[in-house]
This record gives sequence, structure tokens and C-alpha cells, in this order.
Amino acid sequence: MRSVRTVFWLYLAVILIGIAYAAALGLMGR
Amino acid sequence: MSDEKSRGFFRDNALSLVFGAVFLATLVGQALSGVADFNAQQIADGLEPVSLGEYVTSSSFGVDVMENWQSEYLQFFLYVFGTVWLIQRGSSESKKPGEEGTESDKEQRVGRFAHDDSPTWAKTGGFRTAIYSRSLGLLMGGLFLLTWTASAIAGWAAYNGEQLGQLEDPVSFLGYLGAADFWNRSFQNWQSEMLAVGSMAVFSVYLRQRGSPESKQVGVAHAETGQTG
Repeated sequence: MRSVRTVFWLYLAVILIGIAYAAALGLMGR
Repeated sequence: MSDEKSRGFFRDNALSLVFGAVFLATLVGQALSGVADFNAQQIADGLEPVSLGEYVTSSSFGVDVMENWQSEYLQFFLYVFGTVWLIQRGSSESKKPGEEGTESDKEQRVGRFAHDDSPTWAKTGGFRTAIYSRSLGLLMGGLFLLTWTASAIAGWAAYNGEQLGQLEDPVSFLGYLGAADFWNRSFQNWQSEMLAVGSMAVFSVYLRQRGSPESKQVGVAHAETGQTG
């Protein structure tokens, strides 16, 4: 189950980084 | 799960890893086709074309990604919560008629009905169990709000970039939230998600996909609800 947990957190991290990245591009007015 | 033997990282996680890899590949496809489309518009407007690097660090790329993400999480949020209370007779995606609602603690193995291998927060009771009992829907709903907000912020910047390119006035963030561009992007994606969910619910009544847990077993009667292969 440890490897499954790794994939769980990997997905959540990718999603949150994607959201933060897109929001940052907007806030910087790029 | 605890009595199932691990067969290695890749086989244990094949579904998530394959979809994750295809996600990254299609995101690259979006970036490549997106910059070509963006530059065609730039040239038509008499503006300089941008590089791939400039495009993937632009709010125009950001909003195109986020507007699709937000609708997916809205779909799953509504589906996860909606299927608690709404049934579709005969559907593999639905609970059986009469099972509407959050069900008993015994059926859900919550609190004193928890098993030894139940998640800790299913056993404890109180607010932890209340939160954990809704955690999938809450995460999907939370991600919807975050991605929708990000799509609004990136969309606002991209919209103002276009406005300035056409020598028109930029709008405030609140102004953008009332703009047709924002709502067109939102509704455009929402409508397709709702159609897809409804299609899956009703088509799975009469049609089968042998071996898929999204389908009833091939020989299961049309009238049987909530049966998965």
C-alpha cells in the first residue's frame, strides 16, 4: 500500500502545482 | 486490500500511472497545438508571434488548461454527491432503488461498526469521522473551487492581454467575473461534463464492457442496478 500512497500524493501534488502555476501566471499578468 | 499481495510498483498502480502519462503527453500536445493557434491569431492581429516557452508561461495557456480541469472536478464532485441521493434504475453507476441516502453506520462500517483494518478516522467517531465520510466529495469540490478560481485569474490576465492587443480597455477582476468570456468558457466545459455523466449512467443500463468495473457483467439483466463486473 505504500506505493499506492506515493501515487496518491503524486497526483495531489501535480494538481495543486498546476493550479498554483496557472494562478501565478494570471496574477503576474503574463 | 491488505490481503492482496503487491505485484510491484508499476502493476499495482498501472491505471493511475498510465492515465498520468497520457495526461502529460496530451498536455504537451495542447501546448504545441496551442502555441500554433495562438500565433495564427497574433499574426492576424498584426502582433509578434511568441515562442513555445513564452506560450507555456502565458496566462492564455494557463486558462485553457484550468477551464478544462475545473469542469472535470465539478463533474466528479456532483457525481460523487449526486449518486448518494439519486439513483438510475438498471445502471452500473447507481446504487439500488431504495438505498438512497448516506446509509447506516453498520452498512458503512463506521464508529463501533468499524473493522480492525478500517481507516483510523472511520473508527474514531465525532468530527473526524464526519469529515472522513465526505472526504472524496470534499476534495473534488475543493479542487473544483481552486481550479475555477485559477481559471478566472488566468482568464482575466489573458483577456486583458487580448484587450490591450486590440487597443481596448482592460477590465478589473470583478469585471472579468461578469464578462461573457469567463461564463462562455465555464458553461462550454460544464455542459459536456453533464452530458457525459448522464450518458454513462443511462447507457450502462443496456450496454456492457466485458471485464470493466464500469460495466455490469455481460449476462446481468438490464433491470439489475448497481452490479459491476
